[in-house]
Formats: sequence, C-alpha cells, structure tokens
Amino acid sequence: MQTAAAGIKLESVTKTLGKTRALDAVSLDFKGGLLHGIIGPNGAGKTTLLRILAGLLHPDSGAVRFSRGGAQIPFGDIRPEIAYFPQEPSLYPDLSCAEHLEFFRDLYQLPRAEFAQKSEALLHLARLEKFRNRRAGQLSGGMYKKLGLICVLLHAPEILLLDEPTIGVDPVSRRELWDLMHDFSAGRMTIIMSTSYMDEAERCARVQLLENGKLLAGGEPGALLEKLGAASFEKVFLREGK
Amino acid sequence: MKLNPAIVGFIKKELTQALRDPRLATLIFLVPVIQLTIFGLAISSEVKNISLTVVSRPGDYLARRIEERAVASGWFSAVRIDSPAAQDYATLLREKRTEAVVAVAPEGLRRALERGNAKIQLLIDAANASRARQVEAYVKNVIARALADNSQAPPLPPVKLDLRVLYNPSLESAIFLVPGIMAMILCIITVIVTSMAIARERETGTFETLISAPVSTGEILAGKTVPYILLGLAEIPIIIAAAVTLFGVPLRGSLFQLAGAGFVFVSTTVMVGVLISTFAQNQQQAMMGGFIFLFPALLLSGVMFPVENIPAGWRLLAYLNPLMYFAKLLRNIMLKGGDWGVFWTNIGALCAIGAAIAAVSAARFKTRLN
Repeated sequence: MQTAAAGIKLESVTKTLGKTRALDAVSLDFKGGLLHGIIGPNGAGKTTLLRILAGLLHPDSGAVRFSRGGAQIPFGDIRPEIAYFPQEPSLYPDLSCAEHLEFFRDLYQLPRAEFAQKSEALLHLARLEKFRNRRAGQLSGGMYKKLGLICVLLHAPEILLLDEPTIGVDPVSRRELWDLMHDFSAGRMTIIMSTSYMDEAERCARVQLLENGKLLAGGEPGALLEKLGAASFEKVFLREGK
Repeated sequence: MKLNPAIVGFIKKELTQALRDPRLATLIFLVPVIQLTIFGLAISSEVKNISLTVVSRPGDYLARRIEERAVASGWFSAVRIDSPAAQDYATLLREKRTEAVVAVAPEGLRRALERGNAKIQLLIDAANASRARQVEAYVKNVIARALADNSQAPPLPPVKLDLRVLYNPSLESAIFLVPGIMAMILCIITVIVTSMAIARERETGTFETLISAPVSTGEILAGKTVPYILLGLAEIPIIIAAAVTLFGVPLRGSLFQLAGAGFVFVSTTVMVGVLISTFAQNQQQAMMGGFIFLFPALLLSGVMFPVENIPAGWRLLAYLNPLMYFAKLLRNIMLKGGDWGVFWTNIGALCAIGAAIAAVSAARFKTRLN
C-alpha cells in the first residue's frame, strides 16, 4: 500500500503579532491525505496558522511536527513538499499564465519533460488552455485563483496550504475550484484550507473551528454539528459571539 | 558550471517584467538620455547673460570703452549707458532691471584719472552670492582691460604666464560635469528600480509565494539583484553614447576600465537598493527611502560641488559615498585616458564600500515575515 501523505500535529502553538494574540495554545492534528478546513470569522487566526505551517512564521511557543506513516520528518526535509497559496494576490499581473507556470517550474526545479506534460494537464483541468497567453492581471477573479492553484499544484506537493482560495470568487468558479481540489486530494495530498464561508465546511473531510486565536472544536463536519447541537457552523459562531 | 535553474528562471522572469512594463522600460532607457541632456545643458558653472548698466556723463569715451569691452567679452547681455541724471541706480538693481551697475565719477573718467583720483563704483545684485562673485571678477577684468587699452605705455608685467589647460582645453563646464552627471543618473536609476522591484513583491502577496517555495534566501537575493545589475550595465553604453554625441565628451580611456568600474558601481548601487527595500513595506516607502539616500549622495559626491569645499566632518560622508568614487573614475577614464594609479585607488575604495553595503543588505534581507 502506498503510504498516505504527511500529516501535521500542532502542540500548544502560540503566536503573538504586535499586541494581538493571533494563536493561543492551539493543539490539533491534521491527518495525512485528507481535506481539512479551518473555519472561522475574519481575524480568527487562520492566516497566521497557515503561515506557521508553511514555515513563514515561527511560533512563539509550542511545536509543529510533520510525520509520514508514523515517522517524524524534520521541516527541512518536508519543505520542498509544501505548497502555499496565500490569500493576497500572489501572481504577477504582467506575466502570462504560461510564463507563471514556467517560473514555478524553475522555482521548484522540475524536469522539462515532466513539466510539459503536467502543465498541459493542469491547464486543461482548470480550463485555462485558451488563456495561456493572457496576463494574470487581465484574468477574472475565478481564473486568477485557478491559475494560482495550478501553479502551486505543478510540482505535486504532498501538503497544500490554501488561504481562503474561494474568497471573492463567483459560485460557479468556486465549484470548479472545489472540484480541482477534490481531484487532487484523494489520499495523495494533505490539503489544509481556510475559509470564512461556513457553507464550505461541509465539503471538507475534517473541520477545525477557530475563533480569536483559540480552537473551539474539530472533527468531521456532520458529527461535529451533531455534537455541538447546531444546525450549521454559522449558528455555532453566532452563539459563541454572544 | 551548471547554472542554478531557480536563479536563471528568476532572472528571466524579472527581465521579462522590467522590459514589459512601459514605465519601467522608459525609466531605464529613455529617462537617462533626457536627464543627461537637460542636466548637461542646464547645469553650468559659467556665468553668462549679465545685464550691466554703465552710468556716466554723455560723451565719456572711457566709459564707452568699458561698455564696448563688456559686449566684446560675450559675458554681458544688456549693456546700457545711462546719463548721470538717472541717479537712483539702486532702484535699477532692486527692480531687477540690471544685475550690475558701474558708476564712474560724474566729471568724467578721463578727468578723474588725470587728477589721480578716479573712483569707480560697482554695485552688484548679490542675491545669488556665487554668481555675484563671478560677476565682480568679470567686471573688474573688463574695466582693467579697458583702462589698459587707454594708457599709452602700459607697464610690462614682470612675469609672463604660459597657461595651458589640459584635458579640457576650452574649459567647458559640460565636459567636466557630464561624466559626473552620468554617474549620478546611473546611481538614481539603479537604486530606485531595484528597491521598487523588491518592495513590489512585498507589497503584493508574491513575496509570500517566493519564500514559501524551496529556494534559499541567497537564490532569491541573486534573482532580485542580477537582473538589475545587467540592466544597469546595459544602460552604460547608452549614456556614454549620449555624452559623446550630444556633448562631445571624449572617451580616452580603456573600455576594460569602464566595464570594471561600471560593474563594481552598479553592483554597489543595486545592493543599496536592496538595503533600502529591507526598510520598506511598499513601493512608496521604497521611493522615499531612495530619496533619503540619493539627496546626500548626490550633494556629497563632487559632481556639482567640489568635495574639497565640504566641511571636514561632512567630507567623511563623501569618502563613504560610492558615487564620489565612480564620478572620479569616469572622469579619469573619459577625460584623462584612465591613469592606472587613479583607477586602482578608486576602484579599490569602491569595492570595499560595495562589499560592506552588500554584507549589510544580505544580512538584513530576510525571507521570513516578521
């Protein structure tokens, strides 16, 4: 059997940014090969959590441990396998789709033959073939996000970190993005994505509810709702807010 | 040697972006030529077009001789002789109708000379002190010549000076200034373009993408500096060609010296750009940071004012200024044919300063979010 993608364990991770405690003793377990959702309102600490996972920020205290099949992996070894897609515009408006893919090929040092085949497959999957020479600045919101996603998918990462990938995207394109992610997960990839759209939680295998830097609860979406006795995740946050 | 594909890809991407952006491409290739033309023509240490008023009695031929001399010199533009009735020449100065007034004795200069009591009053508008000083020297010169013409037996000067001006025989200020201005323009463009290019990545989310990719800090730094060093080097032939064709500045030295000095200088200023970008979160801040560096660098470089005139304490800053060394190197190469002693001294100093700046920039260039 093929070993499942790496999982990540957080042990009491705390991070203070300026005067705000962005993460407050967060401990959780991202099981390998699943699609995880981090759900929470704006300012809950979702971006900070993802940046820590990507190694862009160091936690003030606590530890982040990566493991594959029970064996721990040091961050340096897992780093090439991590892809991070930030929430802010992360593409160059004056470069075309094809040029973006080439730039990411060079950054991740992919062999040319593998690249040629993969980039075509991804462009096809994202339905961006016709726009390969269009510059990122002239793409629609949904196409832009899809391009960003296929750029980070190009080197087939083991861990994919997506920060609100569906924000500002129309419902049809959102659906396409979700399909793209589902096609790529399925045991081969650990996807951790954040969203403030509560309805997206139900599409994840596991969800973690985050608010004010604290972990409220986590688990399978259906079971979690049942346990919390709420009809939807929105209700949970509305109740917590009171 | 196998080139690192990440760095090569980075350089390709950076150059594509720089050349594709019409504003940036204009800034890199057209603006230097325009600036060189404007600065080369406008910045001149020669004082010309001085309006002079000579106040004398009508028919005072010595006063007229002074006027003729002034016109012949080419320094003076509007020369008028007013009658002594126009007493209030201070008003002429105050109203800016004239820049200098020469008033001779009312009874006539000739008679005053005979009496041995000839006084000439010289009034100069000294709102611009350095111009006034030169106007004074010119007027004195004109008067001295006019009077020398007049005396039947001029006393022979005991020593005759055989004056030869080397490297710039016609003493044109453009020949002296243009190499300095070239250095200045190269400095401005490379510092601004580099710091803006890094700040732009930080401002948009692209920096996050870069630093989360498996590339090292060194690779990112190389990817962000090498393209701008190449662009800076590409600019040197353009401004040299402009200087030679537009201003007739000679290029007497070796191209090897030019290439060596250009490479060291451009690398240094690109690293200054990196250093500035490490303090900036966005492009506006990078631009402001650029000016904080550039203004003192331009003033304390000897391009416009001689370094020797800077007070001793501040002169120390000039000796830390890469622009000062490059301006010296360019003048040495272009005007004097590139004396090797001068070359090695200045390139040595430039290398040392460049290495120090590069070390600080590299240490400050963080590939982590704060």
